[in-house]
Amino acid sequence: MRLGWRELVRRPGRFLTAGAALTLITLLLLVLGGILDRLIAASTGVLRAQSAPLIAFSADSRDSLNRSRVSAAQLEDIRAVEGVREATGFGVALLAAHVPGQEEPADAALFGYEAANRRVPAPPDRAQVYADRSLEDQGVALGQRLELGPARIPVEVVGWVEDTSYNLQDGLWAEPETWREALSSSLPDAALADGAFQVGLVTPRAGADPAAVADAVERAMPGFVVRTIDEAIAAIPGVEQQESVFGAIIFVTFAVAGLVVALFFALLTIERTGLLGVLKAVGASSGQLASALTFQALMIAAGALGIGGGLALGLERLIRDTVPIAIDPARFAFTAVGLVVTALVGGALSFRRLIRIDPASAVGGA
Amino acid sequence: MRLALAEIRRAKVRFGLLTGAVGLLVFLILFQQSLAGTLLGTFIGGLEHQSAEVVVFGGDARRAVEGSRVTPEQVAATGSVPGVRATGPIGVSTFTARAGSEPVDATVFGYELGGPGTPTTLSAGRLPQADGEAVASAADAPDGFDIGATVSILPGDVPITIVGLADDLNFNVQPTMFVSYSTYEQLVLTTNPDARGVLPSLVGAELVPGADPVKVADAINRAVQGADAVDRATAVDSLPGVSAIQQSFSIILGLAFVVVVLLTGFFFLIITVQKLQALTLLRAVGASGRYLLGNLVLQVVLVIGVGTLLAVGLLLAAASAASTDVFEVRVEPAVVGITATSILVLGLVAAIGSMRRIARIEPASATARPTGGGLA
Repeated sequence: MRLGWRELVRRPGRFLTAGAALTLITLLLLVLGGILDRLIAASTGVLRAQSAPLIAFSADSRDSLNRSRVSAAQLEDIRAVEGVREATGFGVALLAAHVPGQEEPADAALFGYEAANRRVPAPPDRAQVYADRSLEDQGVALGQRLELGPARIPVEVVGWVEDTSYNLQDGLWAEPETWREALSSSLPDAALADGAFQVGLVTPRAGADPAAVADAVERAMPGFVVRTIDEAIAAIPGVEQQESVFGAIIFVTFAVAGLVVALFFALLTIERTGLLGVLKAVGASSGQLASALTFQALMIAAGALGIGGGLALGLERLIRDTVPIAIDPARFAFTAVGLVVTALVGGALSFRRLIRIDPASAVGGA
Repeated sequence: MRLALAEIRRAKVRFGLLTGAVGLLVFLILFQQSLAGTLLGTFIGGLEHQSAEVVVFGGDARRAVEGSRVTPEQVAATGSVPGVRATGPIGVSTFTARAGSEPVDATVFGYELGGPGTPTTLSAGRLPQADGEAVASAADAPDGFDIGATVSILPGDVPITIVGLADDLNFNVQPTMFVSYSTYEQLVLTTNPDARGVLPSLVGAELVPGADPVKVADAINRAVQGADAVDRATAVDSLPGVSAIQQSFSIILGLAFVVVVLLTGFFFLIITVQKLQALTLLRAVGASGRYLLGNLVLQVVLVIGVGTLLAVGLLLAAASAASTDVFEVRVEPAVVGITATSILVLGLVAAIGSMRRIARIEPASATARPTGGGLA
């Protein structure tokens, strides 16, 4: 360790190339991850907010909120299934919200719901909405009267809720009649019958196994499929594609980081073959030299994480108004672990070269 | 230039490792570009490759196709604007389709046959000539959307027969079909019996020859109340998510370019500094500065050139491996060429630091070297 540390301190320029490359790769990884996390969060907040663990979709909808239908009678039938404590209706309408004083309308997702969930209280009165706080950025304020859709359905904002976006649109939460009126007047082809919703939110009785309850509902209601919240999140349009594209890029970037470290230490080992031979000749073991190299790889990764992390946070502040990005601690931890592992693996690829260095070469090469 | 090649031959591992690193980083850039291009292409293809040169959204739609509704009056009013040759309703919606064994999400465009909204990239078969026929995205032909196949729209099991395939027609990263407008209306009403009517999503407008789509779109906006008309390219760029994807990938690619350039620059700077004594001696025995600079430039070109070739090979392998049922990753030769050229130019720019070091070498300082014949 001491040997590795001393070399780092005395010859920092030698490690500049790898350090700079890893710093930029760290920045790249954090920005990539931050964009992915923000995109996913802004598409899935509404489902993550639900306290009901199960969602019943009509079977032909392929788990799409917009294409699913559940009538009032079908909701009653779901409530009657053994093991179900509660089944409430839920639906969404993607609409423009006209904000007083704002030239451009805000993109909004109007949710019709029947019961409180983890982030939203029980439904407000008719023609009132709870608004996602992210709408503040678009000029929305408490007590304001918004007009929804081309039919300009008026609603009053009576409270804030957090992290309830859907499909990159900010949430507005209304009681069912207000939602149904806005849906049918703005999107007549998506209109629903009185009492109908798009999906049913199913809460099992205390102690009941959600999977067993889901099976029971599907058996009792052949036209429905019951999904967990995680399954429903994965089915939101774009989520799978975004995760697969960004996941592939992040994976390849980690691989490149590991190879950059491997190539750098291979180069460094080759350059120092003579010196390492002398060290071995005076008693240094291969293990000690490998430890020094590993320590250096870790230090470079740590430095890259510190500087790259700082740069990423600075960049996030600069671009977050135009690019969807949010770098959270979990993303940083994931990147840190990934980078340390790739640095260790990359550094370890030079061990064979280190071990093969012959101490006698210190004499022969002189 | 013999010197540059001789040095590379004598330090094969060192240059090989750098070439490998550059190759991997260029591969990273090319891979990201291919993914971004594929993602965007399958996101926008249906709107980009249809015949309406001007597209009219509902004024409230914020240019989101599936959230847009226009009225029959707006369709008619658009037709009377100077510069417009033909107008027609275009309906766009996502349905559950059974193609092959498993149901899938599919986007359906409905248009008046022969009118605005006709697919423009037909690659096999023919355009629909009757209700119940469709042109499908060619990329999805192997998944049950090939010519002659019958796709059922659920619920209701409305059958659609595929009669043609068109390239780059996917929309919303889904299999996409273009059908007659009346077929589209039938699909909407069958899948949602509670619907209170079917409004078109867009007005499509084809223009008289020579008309400027941007100016005609402005004229439509002035003449048609509640309309948001834009030329086709603007409509595509305005689709929700497109600019976010473009901006995100621009930043990511910008960072990746910086990594490649810095790595190349640092490497050549380090080896130039390490060789300074030898280079000084060469200058002292008559090698010109231009000769040494030429050698450096050749090494940079070789490292980046070979690295780029390596990257292209890796890209072809990765594109094949990364293509999934969700979407196929495609390699665009033009993008690869532009990127490779950019990397080469930027690599040479990054080597300016090394070039300056070489240019500043003072041959007389060789006499002050303690080794190699110096007098100090």
